This record gives sequence, structure tokens and C-alpha cells, in this order.
Amino acid sequence: MDSSYPAPLTRIISLFEGLPDAEKRESLISYADSAPKQAPRDGETFDLEDIRKDEECTDTVGVYMKVTPDRACTFRITLGPQVQTLTKAMTSILCKGLAGSTPEQILEVPADFVPKIVGADLVRQRSQTVYYILTRMKSAARVWLNRQRAASHH
Amino acid sequence: MIDKNYAHPEVLVSTEWVAEHLADPGLRLVESNEDILLYDMGHIQGAVHIDWRSDLQDQLIRDYITPEKFAALCEHHGISNDTTVVFYGDKSNWWACYALWAFRLYGHTKVKVMDGGREKWVAEGRHLTRAVPHFTKGTYRPAPERLDAEIRAFFDQTLAHSKAGKPLIDVRSPGEFRGELTHMPEYPQEGVLRGGHVPGAASVPWKMAVNDDATFKSADELRRIYEEEAGLRAGDDVIAYCRIGERSSHTWFVLTYLLGYKNVRNYDGSWTEWGNRVGAPIERN
Repeated sequence: MDSSYPAPLTRIISLFEGLPDAEKRESLISYADSAPKQAPRDGETFDLEDIRKDEECTDTVGVYMKVTPDRACTFRITLGPQVQTLTKAMTSILCKGLAGSTPEQILEVPADFVPKIVGADLVRQRSQTVYYILTRMKSAARVWLNRQRAASHH
Repeated sequence: MIDKNYAHPEVLVSTEWVAEHLADPGLRLVESNEDILLYDMGHIQGAVHIDWRSDLQDQLIRDYITPEKFAALCEHHGISNDTTVVFYGDKSNWWACYALWAFRLYGHTKVKVMDGGREKWVAEGRHLTRAVPHFTKGTYRPAPERLDAEIRAFFDQTLAHSKAGKPLIDVRSPGEFRGELTHMPEYPQEGVLRGGHVPGAASVPWKMAVNDDATFKSADELRRIYEEEAGLRAGDDVIAYCRIGERSSHTWFVLTYLLGYKNVRNYDGSWTEWGNRVGAPIERN
């Protein structure tokens, strides 16, 4: 297993890799079902909020990031109703799999874990949005780091 | 049955009709989607899932499965030659129409589309289940060959059609037609090197044919779009295309079944073939 994956994500990948296709599919559905639970909860505040509709995704995605003083990240994500099921599943997987990682670790996460979870049959040219959530999380981490660097120069 | 002055009203059924015929033994519901896992999230009771890519296409070369494999697919889902197949799906029935077109390639004639597709069924608050149905194996006699010559166009035929000035309908978005985009809006790039359209093609985005609730427009409205505005005439020999043949199968369905055109072919190679082909003529305007 690639050591550049954060530990919680490594555990999820290992679990998926051992599953037959039918159970892999069922697990993805279960993760997709829990996507609404990844939305911000009442009273939560964030260090960064990035809500937008990009050309490469079918609906609006909101990324909310909180970073603790010891640089551990927590993500919350909101998805528009048109977002595809695989993207919903990936939202839950990444919110859980990247919880506690530092912004620097998030930037280093390789995207090659996606076919290991989803299975080659479900990764298609038209389903590239499964990579989109990771891209948005990395983008949030990058913005947060840039702000930190800018603040430290003042 | 829905009759908005369609040429073949019998091919279009309402969500209400489907709800009332769920238990009909001679009928099979087929859900076909772009969202690969949408069926697993919930589907109409008794519906089976047929995937455009893994079920209907050859897994090695860019083509459709053989008639024998199609027969095996049908038998697996309890579909026999005389079964009436009702298609529905996401994206205003793009993939439902694609699957229906593919069924017609293998000579299956008892086909219908649920008007409004999955969106309408869900919007009406109708029941969805995650239970996957299992049916007694069907008995399917494969067609001697696919009906490629009747309802499918290939590159050379489309080129000849263009050179002869015959009607071509480009159903992609206006940006793709003008060559400003080499991918569908809101979709990733599917590997096209050149933008534009087949010379002589008229731009009629597929979406023109549907209402906001994903149902098809009336025949009068469709005639205004395809005949008064795009210049088609009843009896025309028409080729429709998009990027990979799914949106154009929707237009193929509209022209063939709702307006009654007898010579409509779907160029499934579409822009992902044409826009990459060395020497293929391209227009941009």
C-alpha cells in the first residue's frame, strides 16, 4: 500500500480491495447514502468555505475546511442534487479518509486510489467527477496554506 | 399511451401507465442511466438494469455486442423476443433512448419509453426499491445480423451524406457545434482533437425536444423545431450525431417515433470519431 495515503484512507482502501465486485458496489451505495451526513452541522465554524459550480461537475459542491492548532483538518461537504452517485460515495470516503490529515498531507494524496475503491469497471471517461472531490479538497488545503504563508510574512 | 399527435403514440407511455402495469407478465422495465450506480440507489419495482457500456458494447473494440450476446443478455433478464420492453432512465431518457435504439439494432420491435424518465417518476414521489428482481430465463432467438444498415450510420456514410448535401442534425450544444468547446458543458474532455461540426449539419440541440419535466414536447412543437426551423421534411433521409451517439439516439427516437420519419440513422461514432479522424472535413460557424 502506498505510504502517502493517510491512515484512515488506507484502511478504507484495504477494505474495498478485499471485496468482490458486488459487495464493493454495495459499500459504495452505503457511502453514497451517508453523503448528506458530511454536510456542516449546526454551530460549526470553518477556516475556509468554498462553494461553487464548476464546469466539470454537474452541480454545485461546497467544501468547508477546519484546521486545528496542530494542523489536523476536518472537511464538511455539501452536494447539489444532480451530483452523481459515485461522487457522493467519494465525498463520504474522503471526508472520513482524510480526517485528521495536515494540509500538506492532503496535497500529497495521489489520486490512484480511486480505481482501487471504485473498481476499473466503474471508472469511465464520463465518470471523472469521482476525482473532482479530491481536487476540491486539495484546492482548499492549498488556499489555506497560501493564506498561512502570506500571514507569516506580515 | 400518450398522444400529443405523435406518429407512433404507442411507443410512449406515462409514469401512471407504468405504475398500473408493473405486474404485466409480458412486459419488462429496463432502467438505463449515465450515473452508473443510480439503479442501485433505487429503481422502479421489477426494473432490470442495462448499462450502455458494460452490457451493450463490445468490451474490446468500439462496437456493439453480437446478436448472440444480445440474446444472452435478454434471456438473463427474462426478456424473450415477444416481451414488450419499456425503457426509462436519467438525463431526460438519453440512455433509455440509446438502449432502445440498441434493442432495435437487434431487431427487437416491441419497445416503449416512459415519458419523463426517472426524473418524472421521482418528482411525482412514486415508489423506488433497491430489491433487484430475478426472472425466469427468457427465450431469445438472436437476429441473423444487426440492423446496422437501417438505423446506424458509419463515418463513410456520414461523409457521403455531407457531400451530397443531405440532412444532418448535430444535437450537441451550440458551443460544441461552433467548435468553441471540445467537450460537453459540465462534462470532462472525452478526447477530441478538433472542434466544429460536420459540413452542412444543422444545429438542433437534443434538449429542444423536451420540456422542463423531461417529457417530450408535442408533435406540433417538434415539427416547428425540426421542420420549420431546421428545415427537415417528412421523407428526408436524416443522420443525427453528437459525441458518442447517446444524445443523438434521443433525437433519432424523436424523429423516428414521434414525428414518423422513416429514414433516420444514428451516427454513433459521432464527434469522438469525426473530430479525431485525419482529413475529416470540418466546418466552424
